[in-house]
Amino acid sequence: MLDLLPILAQQIINGLVLGSIYVLATLGLTLIFGVLGQINFAHADFMTLGAFAAYFVARASGGNYLIAIVAALLVGALLGLVVNQAVFSLLRGQDETRPLVATIGVSVLLENAALAFLGPVPYTFDSPYSSQVIRAAGMYFTMQSVLVMFIAVLAVGSLYAFLKLTFVGKALRALSQDQEAAGLMGINKKALIALTFVVGSAFAGLAGAMLGPILVLTPFAGATVIVKCFAIVIIGGFGNVEGTIVAGLMIGLIESFTTQMLSPGMSDIVVFGILLLTLAVRPTGLIAERREENV
Amino acid sequence: MVDPMTLSNTRSARGTSRWLGLLTCVAVIVVLPLIFRDAYWRGIITICAINILLAIGLDFIFGFAGQLSLGHSAFAGIGAYTSTVLVTALGANFWVALVCGVVCAGLAGVLLSAFAVRLKGHYLAIASLGFAVITYQILVNWISVTQGPLGIYGIPPPPSISIPGLQTINFSNHQAFFYLVSAFALLTYVLLRNLTRSPIGDALTAVREDEISAASLGIKGTKWKMMAFGIGCAIAGLAGCFYASFIGTLVPDAFFITESFMILAMVVIGGRGNLWGAVLGAVLLTVVPELLRGIGDFRLVAYGLALTLVALFLPGGLSGVLIQSARRFNGSVTRAKSETHA
Repeated sequence: MLDLLPILAQQIINGLVLGSIYVLATLGLTLIFGVLGQINFAHADFMTLGAFAAYFVARASGGNYLIAIVAALLVGALLGLVVNQAVFSLLRGQDETRPLVATIGVSVLLENAALAFLGPVPYTFDSPYSSQVIRAAGMYFTMQSVLVMFIAVLAVGSLYAFLKLTFVGKALRALSQDQEAAGLMGINKKALIALTFVVGSAFAGLAGAMLGPILVLTPFAGATVIVKCFAIVIIGGFGNVEGTIVAGLMIGLIESFTTQMLSPGMSDIVVFGILLLTLAVRPTGLIAERREENV
Repeated sequence: MVDPMTLSNTRSARGTSRWLGLLTCVAVIVVLPLIFRDAYWRGIITICAINILLAIGLDFIFGFAGQLSLGHSAFAGIGAYTSTVLVTALGANFWVALVCGVVCAGLAGVLLSAFAVRLKGHYLAIASLGFAVITYQILVNWISVTQGPLGIYGIPPPPSISIPGLQTINFSNHQAFFYLVSAFALLTYVLLRNLTRSPIGDALTAVREDEISAASLGIKGTKWKMMAFGIGCAIAGLAGCFYASFIGTLVPDAFFITESFMILAMVVIGGRGNLWGAVLGAVLLTVVPELLRGIGDFRLVAYGLALTLVALFLPGGLSGVLIQSARRFNGSVTRAKSETHA
């Protein structure tokens, strides 16, 4: 029993680290859905390209991971802006499947463009912090996992501060509640929607930089994560930031434990089993969104 | 007032044109393998026929019933693996295994729809995506049955058919296999088209356009959506069975979610909701990438770009554009006629 406890604690730590990356990866989707009611399938490729940007910047700057993270953030933000202007702003007010299908197209395009330029061979992206191990209370942490947790908390904290404390954040919340009324109150809808995309996609880029050293870094890296992000979005409740955080950490923990106790392949089956169960029993997710139309 | 004579005339004209269309299809199917004589292109036209089956199945679910399913490849996988395991591990007859594969895929579709009928739009899209991921992971991890990522090899073609007085039909021959799949594709197409033009098609359209109004007319959305999923997925299962015995090997990657996106792209680019658009999309997305082999990986970039542009600017897809230009042409012809009469 005493031997089991450190293993358990270690799995919990691993799960929370993984979960906080999932939270980062999913928050952008949640934010965009919360404001626009739209899903961006190319979000996965923002992560992939963020990871690659981090990889190349880290290499160019002689292994400076922190600059690489900033670069990934900027690449994500830029991609978000471009996709919003090129796809979503053209289909505003259309039925929801058209933007969905269009972003699937963007995703296929980005994925294969990355494949054509970068090739299918995995890149080894080592963070300098992965090799620094801290031992405390019988558990091992790498500096990398401490950094991941720190950045996740920082990112989520600043998102909250932005949404709750600033005037623009208030306008954004107004927009997510009622677009028309918000527009009538003199809120610049277009600019705010673009801002949502920029912030949400910057999160994707950030998540990519965090995922880079964990995943097999290929042009398809984001695609393997994004389906889990979708599951988290639904389990947490569409467009709900708190729900996403809870569900993201939960999925991280579940994955960490199924990988340890069953097999890595089983984790997807368990996660999506929970997804289908959620849809069957509580389709509004853990924390229900305030709209009735979707279910 | 419509003259009853003209009405019956147009009706019989429509009947004639329908038979003409069917005859043209048969002629095209017969001639195709005679034009494409090398094994490579005969393989591609056979894959094309399989893709047509996949695309019209999805069009029935997405175009007619309005349910965006992103898990279509999973049902092809269920059909393919069911029939193949029955044939290779249990030594079942191909045709029996085929029926089992189709039924299993159809039942899986009904199972998914049992979750999905309560869902709309994004929820359904992601639920079906999740279903496809689960199916894929089961195929990868259930090694004792599916051999996992190593795949199943040496899947035999359907047994030869010998008809007395005629040559034995041997399906290891690409030409015979093409005729077999095309015959099934044509049959499925005709059945689906008749189904969509029957009152059932009207019920589906009503549910797609406005489920609440449909319910007020006594059309139960759940029931019809389940039926659409069952039929569409069974067709995907049929395509999967043919795919397995045509290719001869079966790996889970052939049914990954990216394949679902490919089938969706066929339906969207061809134009959803009229079946022949899906056929057009399937043909284009199978043949054009082969012609573009010279540009390597960029052909997939081109397919992504095409999907994006069509979704952005051509909501009716290519068939929508064709229908519109045909209408414009007809309009100008009638106008010209009436002008000459005057």
